[in-house]
Amino acid sequence: MTRHLHRIAAVASVLLGLLPATARAQGTNISGRVTSDAQVPLQGVSVSIPSLGVGAYTNAEGKYAFTVPGTRVAGQTATLVARRIGFTAKTVSVTLSGSAITQDFALAAAATELTGVVVTALGIEKEKSQLGTAVQQISNADLTQTKAQGVVEQIEGKVSGVQITGSGTPGGSSYITIRGANSILGDNSPLYIVDGVPVSHRDNVGPTNRGANAMGGFDFGSAISDINPDDIETLTVLKGPNAAALYGSRAANGVILITTKNGKNTGGRMRVEGNSFYTFENPSRLPDYQNQYGQGAGGAFEFIDGAGGGVNDGADQSWGPKLDGRTSGCTFVSGFNGGIGIANKYDTSAPCKQFTAVNGGPWIAHPNNVADFFQTGHTASATIAASGGTDRANARLSGGTDNVSSFIPGTYLQKTNGMLSGNLQINDRLSAQSSVQYVRNGGRNRPGQGYGNSILEGFVWFGRQVDVNALKANWQNSATLNNGPDGREFNWNYNYHNNPFFLMNGNPETDSRDRLIGNLSATYKITDWLNLTGRTGSDWYRLNINQDWSPADITGAPVNAAYNGAFQLTNEYNNETNSEALLQANKSYSKVALSGTFGGNIRKEVLNSAAVSTQGIAAPGIYNVSNAAIALQNQQLETRRQVNSVYGSASFTYNGWWTVEGTARNDWSSTLPQGGNSYFYPSVNTSILLSDLFPGIKTGPLSYAKLRGSIAQVGNDATPYQLRTVFNGFSAQFKGLPQFTLSNNIADATLKPEITKSSEIGLELGFFNGRMDIDASYYNKATRNQIFPLTISPATGFTQTTINAGMIKNEGAEALLSVIPLQLANGFEWTSTFNWGKNSSRVVTLYPGVSTVPIGTAWGVNVEAREGLPYGALYGTGFARDSATGLIYTDGGVTVPGAKKVLGNITPSWTGGWNNSFTYKHLTVSGLLDIHRGGSIWSITNYWGDYAGVLKSSLKGREVDWQNPGVVVHGIDVNTCPDYAAAVSKGQCPGGKMNTDTVTSEEYFQNIYPAQEGYVFNDSYMKLRELRVSFELPQRWANRLRASAMNFSLTGRNLYTWTNVPNIDPEVSYSNQAGTQGEEYASIPNTRSVGFSVRITP
Amino acid sequence: MIALAGAAACNNDTLTNINKNPNSPEDVPTTALFTTAARSSAGSWVGNGYDLRGLEWVAQHLAEVQYPDEDDYKRLLASAGTTPGWFDNPYTAQLEDYRQIIKRASNDPGTSGPALIMRTWDFSYLTNTFGDIPYFGALSGDSIGSGYTPKYDAQKDIYADFFKVLDAASKSLSSASNSLGKADPVYGGAPAKWQKFANSLRLRLAMQLVNVDPATASAQVQAALAAPGGVFASNNDMAVFAWPGDGTYDNPWSVNFSSRDDHRMSQTLMNILNATNDPRIGIYAQPTLSDPTKYAGMPNGLTQATAQPYFNTTSRPGKIFWPAANQSAVAGGTGAGQPAFMMTYAEVAFLEAEAAARGIGGLSAGQAQGFYNAAITASMNQWGVTDATKISTFLAQPAVALQSGTAGQTQIVTQEWIALYTDGGQAWTLWRRTCQPNTLKPGPYAIINTVPRRMQYSTTEYSTNASQVSAALTQMGGTDDFTTRMYWDKSPSAAPTFTTGCGTR
Repeated sequence: MTRHLHRIAAVASVLLGLLPATARAQGTNISGRVTSDAQVPLQGVSVSIPSLGVGAYTNAEGKYAFTVPGTRVAGQTATLVARRIGFTAKTVSVTLSGSAITQDFALAAAATELTGVVVTALGIEKEKSQLGTAVQQISNADLTQTKAQGVVEQIEGKVSGVQITGSGTPGGSSYITIRGANSILGDNSPLYIVDGVPVSHRDNVGPTNRGANAMGGFDFGSAISDINPDDIETLTVLKGPNAAALYGSRAANGVILITTKNGKNTGGRMRVEGNSFYTFENPSRLPDYQNQYGQGAGGAFEFIDGAGGGVNDGADQSWGPKLDGRTSGCTFVSGFNGGIGIANKYDTSAPCKQFTAVNGGPWIAHPNNVADFFQTGHTASATIAASGGTDRANARLSGGTDNVSSFIPGTYLQKTNGMLSGNLQINDRLSAQSSVQYVRNGGRNRPGQGYGNSILEGFVWFGRQVDVNALKANWQNSATLNNGPDGREFNWNYNYHNNPFFLMNGNPETDSRDRLIGNLSATYKITDWLNLTGRTGSDWYRLNINQDWSPADITGAPVNAAYNGAFQLTNEYNNETNSEALLQANKSYSKVALSGTFGGNIRKEVLNSAAVSTQGIAAPGIYNVSNAAIALQNQQLETRRQVNSVYGSASFTYNGWWTVEGTARNDWSSTLPQGGNSYFYPSVNTSILLSDLFPGIKTGPLSYAKLRGSIAQVGNDATPYQLRTVFNGFSAQFKGLPQFTLSNNIADATLKPEITKSSEIGLELGFFNGRMDIDASYYNKATRNQIFPLTISPATGFTQTTINAGMIKNEGAEALLSVIPLQLANGFEWTSTFNWGKNSSRVVTLYPGVSTVPIGTAWGVNVEAREGLPYGALYGTGFARDSATGLIYTDGGVTVPGAKKVLGNITPSWTGGWNNSFTYKHLTVSGLLDIHRGGSIWSITNYWGDYAGVLKSSLKGREVDWQNPGVVVHGIDVNTCPDYAAAVSKGQCPGGKMNTDTVTSEEYFQNIYPAQEGYVFNDSYMKLRELRVSFELPQRWANRLRASAMNFSLTGRNLYTWTNVPNIDPEVSYSNQAGTQGEEYASIPNTRSVGFSVRITP
Repeated sequence: MIALAGAAACNNDTLTNINKNPNSPEDVPTTALFTTAARSSAGSWVGNGYDLRGLEWVAQHLAEVQYPDEDDYKRLLASAGTTPGWFDNPYTAQLEDYRQIIKRASNDPGTSGPALIMRTWDFSYLTNTFGDIPYFGALSGDSIGSGYTPKYDAQKDIYADFFKVLDAASKSLSSASNSLGKADPVYGGAPAKWQKFANSLRLRLAMQLVNVDPATASAQVQAALAAPGGVFASNNDMAVFAWPGDGTYDNPWSVNFSSRDDHRMSQTLMNILNATNDPRIGIYAQPTLSDPTKYAGMPNGLTQATAQPYFNTTSRPGKIFWPAANQSAVAGGTGAGQPAFMMTYAEVAFLEAEAAARGIGGLSAGQAQGFYNAAITASMNQWGVTDATKISTFLAQPAVALQSGTAGQTQIVTQEWIALYTDGGQAWTLWRRTCQPNTLKPGPYAIINTVPRRMQYSTTEYSTNASQVSAALTQMGGTDDFTTRMYWDKSPSAAPTFTTGCGTR
């Protein structure tokens, strides 16, 4: 395949008015070779002297040559620029003196590209111009510009069609889907491959399934966060089955293909690289709390023992007296029975008793009592690597560490990783490659999530007058300090919630994951056009979680109050090993290039996990099984899976502009029934380079055009052990007797594989020689024969049955637009990229007679796959309404719950990211906006926050005093309807009258909750995800460090959020499980961080 | 290469063996199933969820002093998420396991008999709570592809089958040569005791039909009393679930009280106990915190603000229901190992007294007083009141001493309702049949004006078995709400049964 040499596009230059339209023959010859960092020749690179308007493109060998007209050569210094979309431009100074100049370039990969080499399935590098499928590759620079929790968060807003919902929890997990969710209840996360080896992204931990959701639990993060972004050379997103068909079963959700850095041929010299960050963090958004009323109910409060012994002092709500600084009169005169509009009769002779000092203290607000709980978090992170090599061998050694002292007091996270990789050209035919990385990822005192024992829950159910500094000063003291129960922690209440400082420090938690990912491969060149590669790779980790509960814990579970504390210990061992052999052939003729692969793989997975816990220990402080005072509860789970595969591909390229590729794969999975465990799936794709087929079209602004299309089918097996119905045992014996119960899941011995069929077409257009690129795709895919546990009538004796049924369709479009709107001769450049993805999903069929499959649930609202609707319907109770007028019904002045209905859907209508970067000489300013449009979120923080009277919104109706002016709900009084039952069930109320009953704010908000309708919000938001100001330091400094460049940056993440969702961060993820999405409760807002970094480029 | 491809392609056996589940067996001993199912049954119906956090409020033995949403019936709406579990869990956690036992032990009456009786005990609470329920076609789930949507059977037919099943189980136990032994947490495997339980349960179910079908009621009472082994004759015969109290398996009430303090005695119960100076009062309840010489109940169905003043001025449930240590003001409870009463001898004697007073089942009015006094004495003993003088003084009071006619029947069922403390479900079922005590009314803030006559069907059923649910509602002749009456709740006849206005605010 050859490419013509081009002169710089005079047309484009003239159009943009930037460059003089002149170019004459003869003069100084400039030539050279342009490669990527990895020494791969780069084709289509524009090398030019902008100030003179001369230049050329590189050919297939990466070579370029052009001549500066003699009339313009005057011994002057000129700037020579090598530029290609997808790579960071490089500039050198040359002196034009008439003699020939040789100048080579090595370009680092950048965010977007239409042409160039990309890593595709099976790690095979291909020219993107010949790909028939949608892939997007991003480079190391884009993954390391700012500091995020892990590699997944680093691609937020950068890849079209990829939806990422980040976690606010320090060390928590993000939810990622590519082109929507395919599976009803299966894993919708992509497959992660590091250097050809699949690696785990497991999230929920162990047999106890301790992943978090809105109902509670801990978010221990996803295992993919172990990968250090600084070790990544490129990250390629294979979007959906078409690009990923060769990966088989797990590729239906797309593949994230990570290639790590390698040593280079440095002529034997050592090169050094480094990247370090120091950032400061705080929560990006906290609820808007009210500061007018304190703890209590019905306008009265008196602290005696914090457990109901006083007036409302057991209540964890803020419906108490007005916070007006009073020192007496927080309770009512005995016998007083106030009501709407009746003047308060507070007993002004009685002091206001509060939790800090039993006998007084002014009754005042502490507006910052939640903000004051948090502290400034600090993250120190550094990676340093040394690499070097010769033409026969090279190696790279890196070490990195992340140290997070969280903005949540007590939470610490530490990650340390080391990686060694090397390449060896043993002889002309045999080469070998290996890499090993070790990661230790640990956490201490991770915060709980959702309902139960989470930090922010303790502020949803709260007294707004509570001075959090008193809680901080005394959390280690006994509750007897303020009449609380002996042996418990000091707190503002003794009924429901722990002192937040105690919660974070008094119930110690530690966890660590030790991980080793390694691979070894060797390639033998059989002939010039045929080689054989053998590769084996493995991903191992051990995870250990120790959770201890102090006896002072007041929440009861899991500590039995009669004992000295409780603990749970969880261990998990996970391993996946893949062994592969691959035969690759490449042969070119004059107009035709052929290539083919044929291979086989054996994948073995093992997961062993065990947990042991007790609710009571004997001697305090010893959290060891030998100290259990209550019988230990043990859990154990062992799963194994093996998949054997053979696969192959063949491609044909004609004259460089037309490529057709076909792939085929057959899997045999251990999880499917014998005789039915083999499944085959093919794909075919093609690309046509229109701009080479019809070179004429390039005379206009269009400089590049490619059309592509593909059809693919991917099968998927079941999870292990779904073929036989079993009995579940209990580790805790009953009086020494074994216990068993029949599983609630009916197995299906005849399961078939799931099949995803997908097709896509794409168009890639380049204008003005790289000044504007568009890469757009349209796709549709359908997954049928879904393997999922169908929820069935419990009256069958079972809750679910594993079946093959149902179909989900996803259809969508995505586009990536890259523009260089401004590029001045003085070196100023503005680049802008916008990516956009819209995915429409539809649950087409489920199972005869079944209209919905619940995926998750929290406080009465389900996340469901409902037939005919997009995946992820939020289904809950609405208000009872009059069908004629649409008005809600009221009864006794409060709202009336109606029927269950669809309240929203978690799927956004589109997502996008807009990145702008401005470079002038050594200075670059860039910012990324991440946009999430549409979708719904069920906000339980708002739901209970109004109920508990802590949110500013709960001031409605008590603007003057606790019962004044009250609320008159705008709706029909259902008691005036002719038929109460017909009104509520059918919405029929002829002649009904408007409600005139006034209720207190407290009554109003505490009667809304049977209907959740008012708390499902449109989840549109836009975030200033990244902002970076970077300064390139003089090169001589870098050279002293055996590096090529050095850079100093100020960085920020999640600096601002635009949204209409009240009180919460609208971006919420508790885990990478689908059933936990779209629900929010007491979730920790995403971290806002600012900091600085120093980067040394090798 | 070739070898690898070869290995990949064949060797199906190796692959299949990898999928053999190492965690859970495909078959287990029936004894292990029985222990688990019985524990689950006792925990469900006379435990924490259905009983303590549901029907104790409705039957007004207890009242809620904080978050009174159950007491206002608000949280008893199926949409609030609590009551669906009362329907769903028994089928999956208990009844399916009893079915497995019965299937495996068809030739072993010592094992199948207790399973049949427990199954009937479970089903009787289910139908008495919801009305028509899946029964004959229920538990059909393991026939793949069919039977996922069981039909709801008429309560009348279910009751008829109850009598048949209990009759057969009772008869088969006469020839039991084998027993469950210590795997039976109720009777330690004694077939003769199970036989009495079968007959006693049959008596309870027979009396439940007394308004709607007096003839069947009478015939079944007579059959129950005459069945081999007879009914409970002393407290030694009671069906009691003995919680080990080992920290893992504690009485569910004490588990609840270890972390909650929102329960108080209802004034509906306490007013009656106080009026007759009932010796059980200090066991059922604790003195109030504000006045340790007093026992007081609180009104049901208040709001949080109106309930709060009662926090220290009303009685908590007795210390025998509380754990040794907890989060609130109660210390020294003994409740972890407190047994749960599944059916008592006292109830049997009350049922016999009522049958006698009505002159049905072969009994005559003259026998009523003997049964009545024996019932009260048994209840006293059961709760630890053994002082014969105290008991006879109590029995001698004019308000307690059995009167004749309908007044006497009122006394019998009222005393039975008192004795059913900790069995809120059966207390509610008895009340619905008899409307005694007639002071039982919805609280002032209850969301409806009448005491619920049933619970709404499970929301799970609406999403998985909707057409059968709607057929059931047609069959019962009502909408899915608290007021639709079930089969035995339709034709009030003789006193003390109410006619109108019963349980209406």
